[in-house]
Formats: sequence, C-alpha cells, structure tokens
Amino acid sequence: MNVMRQTDDATATAEIKIAAKGVQVYYGDNHAIKDVDVDIADRTVTAFIGPSGCGKSTFLRCLNRMNDTIDICRVEGKITLDGEDIYDKRVDPVQLRAKVGMVFQKPNPFPKSIYDNVAYGPRIHGLARGKAELDEIVENSLRRAALWGEVKDRLNAPGTGLSGGQQQRLCIARAVATSPEVLLMDEPCSALDPIATAQVEELIDELRSRFAVVIVTHSMQQAARVSQKTAFFHLGNLVEFGETGQIFTNPRDPRTESYITGRIG
Amino acid sequence: MTLGMVFLILAALALAGFFLGRGRALAVAGGDARRLHSLPSYFGWQAVLFLALPALGLTALAAFGGVLRHPATGWVALGLGVIGMGAALWNTGTEVRARNIVETCVKGLLILSSFIAIATTLGIVLSMLFETGQFFRQYQWTDFFFGTVWQPNFRGGSDLGILPLLWGTLYISVIALLVAVPIGLFAAIYMSEYAGPKFRSFAKPAIEMLAGIPTIVYGLFALITVGPMLRDYFAQPLGLGTSASSVMTAGLVMGVMIIPFVSSLSDDIINAVPQSLRDGSLGLGATQSETIRLVVLPAALPGIVGAVLLAASRAVGETMIVVLGAGAAAKLSLNPFEAMTTMTVKIVSQLTGDTDFAAPETLVAFALGLTLFVFTLGLNVLALYIVRKYREQYE
Repeated sequence: MNVMRQTDDATATAEIKIAAKGVQVYYGDNHAIKDVDVDIADRTVTAFIGPSGCGKSTFLRCLNRMNDTIDICRVEGKITLDGEDIYDKRVDPVQLRAKVGMVFQKPNPFPKSIYDNVAYGPRIHGLARGKAELDEIVENSLRRAALWGEVKDRLNAPGTGLSGGQQQRLCIARAVATSPEVLLMDEPCSALDPIATAQVEELIDELRSRFAVVIVTHSMQQAARVSQKTAFFHLGNLVEFGETGQIFTNPRDPRTESYITGRIG
Repeated sequence: MTLGMVFLILAALALAGFFLGRGRALAVAGGDARRLHSLPSYFGWQAVLFLALPALGLTALAAFGGVLRHPATGWVALGLGVIGMGAALWNTGTEVRARNIVETCVKGLLILSSFIAIATTLGIVLSMLFETGQFFRQYQWTDFFFGTVWQPNFRGGSDLGILPLLWGTLYISVIALLVAVPIGLFAAIYMSEYAGPKFRSFAKPAIEMLAGIPTIVYGLFALITVGPMLRDYFAQPLGLGTSASSVMTAGLVMGVMIIPFVSSLSDDIINAVPQSLRDGSLGLGATQSETIRLVVLPAALPGIVGAVLLAASRAVGETMIVVLGAGAAAKLSLNPFEAMTTMTVKIVSQLTGDTDFAAPETLVAFALGLTLFVFTLGLNVLALYIVRKYREQYE
C-alpha cells in the first residue's frame, strides 16, 4: 500500500474525522475494494478520483453504510468516526446516516415542496421544537446552499420544478439541514452544466468551514479546484493519497501520473 | 356465390397479386431492386391492399345495407377488387412511392381500429339511452330515482325505486374496498420493499391467482362457508339477524376477490418509484419505514388511487358473489348482517325468464344499467382528476 500522510500543509493540524483501516468490500464474489486505508480530516475537502469502476463510489458508500441496502455487498475492515467503529453492532446505521449526510450523482429531490424537502430530515430526527424553529432551519440550510435568494418566494412550489443545478443545491440544503458532521458527495456535478457546477463548487468550499466533505469526482480539474486532499483509486486499490497539490504536480506513483496526464482511465 | 367462396377467391387473388406486384416492380427495374424507390415487396403489398380494401369495403357496406345475401354482391366485390389490383399493377415504376402508399393504408387501418372501439362504446350508450327513454315514458323518473321501495310486479303496479339497490351496491362495495385496500396495499408494500426476490417470485403469482378464480366459485365460497360462519359466530351472538346471506358475506368475499387488483397494480407502481428517491431518504438517516411512508407512497399515490378506483369499479359491477352471498332481497337497512342486493343482480333478474320488452318491469333493467354506467364513468373521471392533480403538484 502506498498511503501518503500529509506533512506540511495547514490542514495537517485538522483532527481526523473518519479513519478507514484495511477496508475490503465484496460484491458477491467480486472483490471491489482491496485493503484501503484513508484518513478523512475534519473541515477539509477530500476528493476521490479514479477511472470508472475503480471503487471510489463504493468506498464512499461504506462511510455511511449505504452499502447495507445492497444484499450481496459485504464490508470488512475497520472504519471509525471520531474513534468509534461505525460497523460495530451497537451502531444504528440510520443514526449514522444522520451524522454522515450524502448528496447523490443525480439530483433527487422528493416529490414534495421545496420547504418539505429541506424540512424532511429535521422532522424525522425531531430537530425543531416548533414551526418557527423549523422555518429557521429551512432558511439557514437554503442560505448555506446558496439557494435561499432564488426560492424564498416559492417555498411551497414543488422541488422537482427547479432547474437541475437548483435541484442539486436543494439536495445539498436537504443534507445540510440534518446538521451532519460529514458530507459525502457522489459526483454531485456530473449532471449539471458548467455554471451550476461552478456554483456547487463554490458552495463546497464554503461547506468546508463546518463539515468534513468527501467528494467523488470524474473531473480532475474539479478535484484540483475544490479539494485539499486527494485519493486516487485504481482497480479497487488506493494507489496514492496525499495533498491535492502534491498529487497533481508531483505524483509519486507512476499509475497516478498516467491517470492525471490522461494515459489511463 | 356464397360469402365464403368470395373470401376464398379474394385470398387466392391476394396471394397472386402479391407476387404479381413484386415481380412487375422487379421487371420494371430491370431486375435491379436498387433502382426502385421502394422495396419490391411494397409493390406486392400495394397490390394486395388495392384488391382487399375495395372488396371488403363493399362487403361491409352490403352488410349494413342488408343486401349481403344478394347473389350479385359477391361478384361486384370481386370485380372491384380486381380493378383495384389492376390499378396497383399499373401504378408501378422506379419513381412510384409504394412504400409510402402502403404505410398510409396501414395508418388508416390503425385509425379505423381505434374508431371501432370508440364507436362500440358510443353504440352501447346509445342503445341504453334509447331503452331507458322507453322506460321513462312509462314510469315517472322521480319515482325511479327517489323511490325507496323495489317491488316489481309483472301484473302491473310495481314500485321500481332505485335507492334500495343503489344502497346495497354502495354498502357491499364499500365493505369490499375496506377489506381489499388495506390488505392489497400492505401486501404490495411488503412485496416491493421488503420481500426477497425468492419470496416475491412465489407470492406475486400466488396472489394474482385470486384474480383468476371464476366469480361463481367465490360465490359458492360465500354461500357455503363464509355466510353460515358469519351467521353462527357474529350475527346470531350479537343478535343482528339469522340470515346467512348478508351484505357482510358478499362484501368480505368480494374484497378478497379484488385484493389482487389493488396489490398487483400498486406493487408495479411502487416499483416504478425511482431508487434514487429511496437512496436520498435513507441517506438522510430515515428508516426504511419512514422512507416508504414519507417518500415512496406519496410519490406512488396517484397510481395507487387509480388502482383503488379500478378495484372499485370491479366491485360495483360484480354480480355472482352478490347473488350467492347477499341474496336478492332489495332492502334499505344499516345492518350489515341483513340480506340486501345490488343493481347488477336486479338487472339479471328483470331480464331472465318470460320477459315482455315493452313492460316497465323489463325496461327498468336498462335504466339500471345506464345508472351503473354513469356511476363507473364518474369513478373513472374522478380517478383521472386525482391523478392529474397530483401530477401537477409533483412534476
């Protein structure tokens, strides 16, 4: 394994939020993730890059146990959140997912109003004590997702009526509303146009001040723009993990170099 | 010449016409099909269509005109067909767009088919309207719609009030839906959201088998098993009656019958809800049950309402289970353990046996039928309205 520890950046001082050690994932007989060690730092954007089918999304879904919903999927190894093993029997995956929010590849607003979309998580988890408090959570989440100005006059309009970029920001607001500690994003911009992508990227940078953000992306430019740490996956292996600047300018593994210069993938 | 002979000759001519048309097209092109606008077989089909359409059209006209059996009909039809086929063969050349002609004819055929379906519905309504008009000329419409007594008497002086029948129909249908909607919907939720593929592959066909059982068999089940059981264990101990035929019996058995209508359709609709919505909800820390209640079911609601209303119109139109389960006594009563009956049963009983199609006692069946039709039409319109309303809100 070729795991690079950060050494010299400001983020080196950030504490480790999620630590994965020796993670193996099997889909039936298929060994999808092979012995991956990654440390996700708090208040940092960590990007997972790699060619299609390299296991980066699969690994991301291990971090909030979304893989539990797939029957044939088996996860081994140890993943800790704040030092606590998330695959421990005492951990309720439902509670875990409230702490580790997720934004998906395709915007998936619920067929409800914009307000109800954002209020969904707080209502389920009983985060608001009254209507006024819920209104406040909804407004703050929409503001944090840079969507408030565009939708404040039509909170009762259906969320599915928004444009693609707005829908994705709505999904981010929905995830933010449950006040998670970590935000996982699975190619959040792959269905968006360049302008919406720029907005979401700006948003990710702002979210970093409050959460640990993990983003899976196909775009190396995007990884370079938004992340401080980058992990490169190839064929289920974690090939290289380190400072984003170092990965893109001075990769230590020849496979990383081949990928970022466009020769594999 | 008999009609059968005409059709035989037409078939033989069509076969010959196909090969003639195709061969002639190839000959015009000098054996090289690439020089033709359309493939040679299109010229063959052109010949067949030009033969068949005039001949069959004339036969249909003759049938409506009542001269189908006239000996000349067959000859004229054949003659027209042959002329048409000749025209098709003459209309052959490298620039002739036989493909477009054939496809226009096929489109016409499709339009005709949909028109026949619509015209049939219209025809049924018109014939019912006509007979119903006859009925209302002999019987006061206020007495029909607001009369609370149903007592047909073929010697005259009958009371033909629809209210007892309408009440029985609604009462039984509501009980059936109260049974079928929760059971069907819950079964659908279990099958689509929780059950493993193994159980699903066995249970889904098993439930759908309920829909394949003939209703008369359900009726026997109601008559022999459910009715006496309800009487012995519920009605008599509760002092609500001594009748084995009851609204409850028919309603329960009919409910079982329409379970698959609700469950099978709802199951398909729930499965059609995109997985991304479930993932989104689970990813926010919702449990599976919360996801189903708050995201999947609301998204599937328009379809589920459609399924329920379809089941409702099945229940309203059901006859056999009512005859055997609820009896044939028209009554206005709240007691669910009393025998009552429905409109469909009375339609059957008014039209069986020695009937005089001029008497109001017989004609009332058409008025009942038309009321039933309007009723189910209303249900369907309501279903469409609900589906549209939610669509607008959600998409």
